[in-house]
Amino acid sequence: MKFRLAILSAGVAVFLAALPALAHHSFAAEFDVSKPITLKGKFVRMDWVNPHSHILLDVTDADGKVVTWSFEALPPNVLFRQGWRKDALKPGEEIEVEGFQAKDGSANAWTRSVKTAEGRRLFAGSPDALPPGAPPAPKEDK
Amino acid sequence: MRFVASLVTALVVVGAAPQMASAQAAYQAPRTADGTPDLQGIWQVRNTSAAFDLEDHSGALGIPPGRSVIVDPADGKIPYRPEALAKRQENFKNRKAADTLNKCYMPGVPRITYLDFPFQIFQTPKYTLITYEYIHIYRTIFTNGSKHIDGLDFWLGDPRGYWDGDSLVVDVTDFNDQTWFDAAGDYHSDKLHVVERYTRTGPDTLQYEATIEDPAVFTRAWKISLPLYRHTERNFRLLEYECQAYADEAAKGSH
Repeated sequence: MKFRLAILSAGVAVFLAALPALAHHSFAAEFDVSKPITLKGKFVRMDWVNPHSHILLDVTDADGKVVTWSFEALPPNVLFRQGWRKDALKPGEEIEVEGFQAKDGSANAWTRSVKTAEGRRLFAGSPDALPPGAPPAPKEDK
Repeated sequence: MRFVASLVTALVVVGAAPQMASAQAAYQAPRTADGTPDLQGIWQVRNTSAAFDLEDHSGALGIPPGRSVIVDPADGKIPYRPEALAKRQENFKNRKAADTLNKCYMPGVPRITYLDFPFQIFQTPKYTLITYEYIHIYRTIFTNGSKHIDGLDFWLGDPRGYWDGDSLVVDVTDFNDQTWFDAAGDYHSDKLHVVERYTRTGPDTLQYEATIEDPAVFTRAWKISLPLYRHTERNFRLLEYECQAYADEAAKGSH
């Protein structure tokens, strides 16, 4: 019985994994709190979509290769209430994004904050969205 | 005799047409307690082909043929910029995958109005609320003089309304660039600006007009106009249409 249940669960999990609905996931399912990351790059675009927003950033590595990173962030309603606006970042602007890298080592990360070219810092994650043990958020620049 | 009869019929028809037009113009919508035209009720489009293609189009499997609902420009065609027309043709070719409606995303404005689903209008002195059967969409149209939100997009835009004689006029901005006007690939950018006009033309008819501007895609503003009809069936009410649930069922192959 336990075995059959396990098979059933596995089947359901495989099926669910194929659904876009699962794009709304917990932090722990995709990102690693022990892999904090800070990257500088050229802001490409921001997708203000539910369930999570995405900030796309062109990062040039040591060999001069450009990799487009996707930084996931909270949904548009939360970002708006935190003071973000659609034109907060300009395409081509040099920004610095700080967050946690994906568990699978891909060019994906969870956003904690963004520092704009002019030095403003935009916060993109509420403390509640992070698992226990996460390092403290960077201090707001005065 | 037969000739005389048809002549009489023809005369009656010719005589009746202008009378109907003037009767429509002269129709006075009933008023709500605060004195605004009463648009409340459950309405639905009867022209089911507009949602497939706003322009003249032939029928196809599952698609009723239809005449253009574009009243301006007079040729009934959307005034695309040349490069945007090419993008529209590409959209048409890829329409099954590229139309976000097929992913159960929200349909945008004005498309939500002529999807073949009923919607209900409620009025208060400060706002008019429209609730749609299609995926539980609602739109709160503030009529209290408030301004558009700045810096945030909405799938259905940010609507702000005012009363103009017998019409509710709704100014809609703050759209994203993810929705289409129909299933034929007619699209817009996030610079879209829509002005809707709802006007009662009779006890059970409501004329819907939308003027559409988007300098990134069109060479000029254009306008659609189509009537909506009141549901008068006994016990009629909005029910649920759960697009995502149906899509999930279909993906499982059990639908």
